Amino acid sequence: MAGRRVLITGVGSYFGSELARRLEADDEVEHVVGLDTRRPRGRLERTELIEADIRDPGIAGLIAPTRVDTVVHEQIVRQPGATMSARTMHDVNVIGTLQLLAACEKTDSIGTFVVRGSSGIYGAEPNAPQFFTEDMARLFPLRTRFQRDVGEIENYFQTFARRHPGVTCTMLRYQPALGARLDTQFSRYLSMPVVPTHLGFDPRLQVVHADDAVDALAAAVRNPVDGPVNVASPGTIGLTRAVRLAGRPTLPLLSPAFGPVTGAAKRIGLPGLSEDFSRLIRHGRAVDVTRLKEEVGFSPRYTTSMALEDWVERSRPEKTAA
Amino acid sequence: MTQPPGVVGVGPALGALKLVRDGLRQGLDAPEALIRAAAVLPGDTRRAVERAARRLDGDYREDEWGFDEEFADLVLPFLDFLYDRWWRVKTVGALNVPGHGRALMVANHAGILPWDATMISMGLLREHPLPRYPRFLVLDWAFSLPWVSVAIRKVGGVAASPFNALRLLEQDQLVAVFPEGIKGTGKPYRERYRLQRFGRGGFVELALRTGAPIVPVAVVGSEEIYPKLGDAPPLARAIGAPFFPLTPLFPWLGPAGVIPLPSRWLIEFCEPIATAGYGPEGADDRSLVLELSEQVRDTIQAKLLENVVRRGPAFA
Repeated sequence: MAGRRVLITGVGSYFGSELARRLEADDEVEHVVGLDTRRPRGRLERTELIEADIRDPGIAGLIAPTRVDTVVHEQIVRQPGATMSARTMHDVNVIGTLQLLAACEKTDSIGTFVVRGSSGIYGAEPNAPQFFTEDMARLFPLRTRFQRDVGEIENYFQTFARRHPGVTCTMLRYQPALGARLDTQFSRYLSMPVVPTHLGFDPRLQVVHADDAVDALAAAVRNPVDGPVNVASPGTIGLTRAVRLAGRPTLPLLSPAFGPVTGAAKRIGLPGLSEDFSRLIRHGRAVDVTRLKEEVGFSPRYTTSMALEDWVERSRPEKTAA
Repeated sequence: MTQPPGVVGVGPALGALKLVRDGLRQGLDAPEALIRAAAVLPGDTRRAVERAARRLDGDYREDEWGFDEEFADLVLPFLDFLYDRWWRVKTVGALNVPGHGRALMVANHAGILPWDATMISMGLLREHPLPRYPRFLVLDWAFSLPWVSVAIRKVGGVAASPFNALRLLEQDQLVAVFPEGIKGTGKPYRERYRLQRFGRGGFVELALRTGAPIVPVAVVGSEEIYPKLGDAPPLARAIGAPFFPLTPLFPWLGPAGVIPLPSRWLIEFCEPIATAGYGPEGADDRSLVLELSEQVRDTIQAKLLENVVRRGPAFA
């Protein structure tokens, strides 16, 4: 597999930049290309940067000359931040993926797609299997906008794979990531001065440690497999235990009050909670990672419980400094 | 010296509370303040307070299913009381349950609330030389309820999905199912010793696929704890429940109506039925599945009728 040429969309994200750094250090990777409107995080040595918006049809003309054989699609937005509206998020996710695939239709050098998708497609349901395997994606209706976006993205890649039997499409379904240098909905939630929970619910949660998350992405580039693969740190942790480890008090709220109270908290500058996240901390979700271990050949180094303890330990000094 | 265990004198209790207050004033967080203050309390209480403080710090274990053994142990004294005093449970044949490795217990189900599950667990914990907590498959609906869902998962219950059961058996756990399901808990009082249909034999498929032996369990006594004389479907629909029981005490006495009647119980674990010999492909053989399912049902039904007589009057 010497002389791989890899394109990373969303190279300005934490995962995009970290993956680029890891691929740069890999002798088997001849060339790394990064596509994003944002600058990469930290210094990259030999990554060719293309400054373009993934939603722009013009990217077709930019991707073809790079003669890449592998595309890592990382530009999928998981939560609307303060700087991005829900509408823009939907545009980037769905239109961006569509434009990327349209551009790749015209590029015959590509043999591999690796997508950093989301386990959000399984939803968070009270009567769900305690561990989702990859074939359980449509057990429940897609309830939120983000879930429907992920559903669309997966459909586009399935269709693409069907039209191009020679292309391997790996759909990585990531659980929420947690890492000391990573700002996610999960870490913002656990860092709130008082953590709102659903009264009477203490669901099992599962995360993926940021290091394992990047390594899994690199492992999938090295050893791509067809179809969906769950990515998570094995095991689960109860929400209450997670919040207690983070050293925060909880504020249990009756379900009808949950939306209004967290909405009001958002208005005074606390992190908002998306509909997906609110469902997640009510019913929880865990996935089975057998396929990641056995077929991609990557075994996460952390369990979910360890990932949480590690996050607490590493983010504590910052907390006391602040 | 004459003080009964578990009761703390007013003096030490006030002293401890003062220490908690002082600790908090000194800027300690709640768990630390509690641990420091617990030092002045007598042995048992001190350990309980220390454990509570440790748990407040997030220092406890849950397995990947959310089972929290320490939490389960906490409710044991209450279940001991129910087992010994309230229902005077007698357990026979506990040795028919394998001490290790995968196994599937199949039991009859009655009595509105799943007290029978707790007493089956207690029977094993008390009578088996290698006790272990069985993992129960619990009606999905229970997992949408606040508190109930948390309590169930912490004591080893999982949603009744075949995926969960397969994974548990593959992990060599002891799994327990009630194939009658809601038809069992909701059966009217006059049909109390009559087993309902055993679904479509899904539990047999699970056993065949994993080669787990099936242990039939016959429970006598759960049938009398809430004599269900009637049902109120409109009320059931209103709260989203599968049925709304009308018993001599419920809902007339309000919350007190939830107190189960003190019937006498007899739990029997029957001889295991080996399934490993059929191989995993046996799970796709409809006739084999239905035949085994019927065999298990007949075993439990026969044992039930036999044991109703052996037990004698329910309320004597």
